Formats: sequence, C-alpha cells, structure tokens
Amino acid sequence: MSRAVSDAELLDRIRSDDPASFDEFVRRYGDRIYGFGLRMCGEREDARDVVQETLIKAFESLKTLHEPRALRSWLYRVASNACLMKRRKGKFEPKRELSLEELMPAGPESAVFEVPDSASPSPEARAELGETRAKVREAIRTLPPGYRIVLLLRDIEQLTTHEVAEALALPETTIKMRLHRARLEVRRYLEHGPRAAAEGAS
Amino acid sequence: MTHSHGPGSIACREIFERLSEYLDAELPPDLCERIELHMAGCAPCEEFLESLRRTVRLVAEVDAPTMPAELHEAVKQAYARLLAPPHP
Repeated sequence: MSRAVSDAELLDRIRSDDPASFDEFVRRYGDRIYGFGLRMCGEREDARDVVQETLIKAFESLKTLHEPRALRSWLYRVASNACLMKRRKGKFEPKRELSLEELMPAGPESAVFEVPDSASPSPEARAELGETRAKVREAIRTLPPGYRIVLLLRDIEQLTTHEVAEALALPETTIKMRLHRARLEVRRYLEHGPRAAAEGAS
Repeated sequence: MTHSHGPGSIACREIFERLSEYLDAELPPDLCERIELHMAGCAPCEEFLESLRRTVRLVAEVDAPTMPAELHEAVKQAYARLLAPPHP
C-alpha cells in the first residue's frame, strides 16, 4: 500500500522535473534492479550495465507514464529487455523447456522429501539451512532463462502475475505455467541436485 | 493410500498442476475446496504441497545483493552527461 502511494508521489516529482527525483529513483530501485540483473545475467559487469541502462531509460520514459501502478511493470520490462540483450551478446545458451512429467514426484517417497522450514526451523533444519540456501541460489542460477526470469519477478521481486505478464509481454497463463515449473525445478534440485549434462543443464 | 491417490493417479496429477496457483490464491473458491478436500485424504499430495510452500519461501528469502555505492554515483554521472548540452 505504502509503495503505491510513494510510487505515485515519486512519479509526480519525476513528471514535474524535480532535479532530486533521479537520485531518489536510483536510491529506491537501484538495489532491486542490480540484484535482478545479477541473478538474471550472472555477471557483475552485466548487472552494472543493466542498472545503468534501465534506470536512465525508464526514468526518461516514466515522464509520460500516467498510471503509477504501471511503474514497476514498466521498470522491469526495461530491465528484462536489457538482460535479454546481454544474453544475446553473450555466449550461446540453449533453449530448454521444463516438462511437467519429469517434475512430478516419482513415488510416495519423493513426495515426502522434506524441504527445511526456514520459518520455524528445527535444530537439525537450522544446521542444514545454510547449505539449503546455497542450493536454492544454484538452482535458480541453472534454471532455463525463460523460467528464471519469471521466478525472479514473481517470487523475489514480488510482482503480481498481471505485472509480470505486462513486463514480459506474455499471457498470464504462460507466466503461471513457467512459474509453477520453475518452483518445481528448484524443489527437484533441493532433492536431487544438478541435472546430468546430457539433460541440457546450462 | 487408496487407488485414486498417490503420485501418478489422475486426481493427484490434476492437483499437482495447480499447486502454485493454489499457493498464490489465484484459483476460484470451488477449485480451492476440491484441492483441500483431496489434500485431507492424500498425505503425499499434502506433504508435497508443504515442501513446495517451503521452497517458495526459501526462494523469496535469497540474499538481496546491494548496488555498489560507486555504481550509484556512476549512474548519476551518466545521466548528468546525457542532460548536459553538447559541446560546440
């Protein structure tokens, strides 16, 4: 709620050419876009470029944006495009799809694989939580980019399905499908670890 | 587990496909009710849902990297250069 109000105020200041508004804009969104760029591109140098390109380009175009609620969708749309351009220039990364069939638990034993509960960890779970968090980061890093971007926007940047659909110019059904498979793949990784190279893991 | 339950059964597969939407409260109430009814009688599905819920929480909690302070300055300078009138 407070974010919506603040975004509206910030948008007003940007539109009225307040000289301090760019600094405020960078302070508010710089870390978020940097983190997003780093997780999406994997390299600090690329994340730097993504931040610079995104903040300047988005700031300029926000002057004509009339709907404050669209600010985040617009910002991440610019950031997503900047990341995708980086990937195009970078090394070849094969397109890979995640199929629901292979993500279904194979049997009752798999269904009950216990993921540590970070909200109220037992003493044993607390001990393994650090290791689990490292696995989660690695699982996200190795997701196919089309799935990774959806997971980052929904579960880390906390955009709504509608906002992600707008940011990526994809139907909401596609966003939901990719999000579900990305989450299932992270869970699968926690249980089984990295896929064999033959399976196309990048 | 009864015949209609457990990984691989049609009922469980249908539920499995909608678990994220269920967690995100994006399903119509009648479908939510069906899922909850199913969960009440199917321990593997219930456990799987809980493991997915924990996975989503862990993803949301990954460390947030912060932008280096000098990058903040670099971005401001790049923007200032963009606004500066071109040299004759």
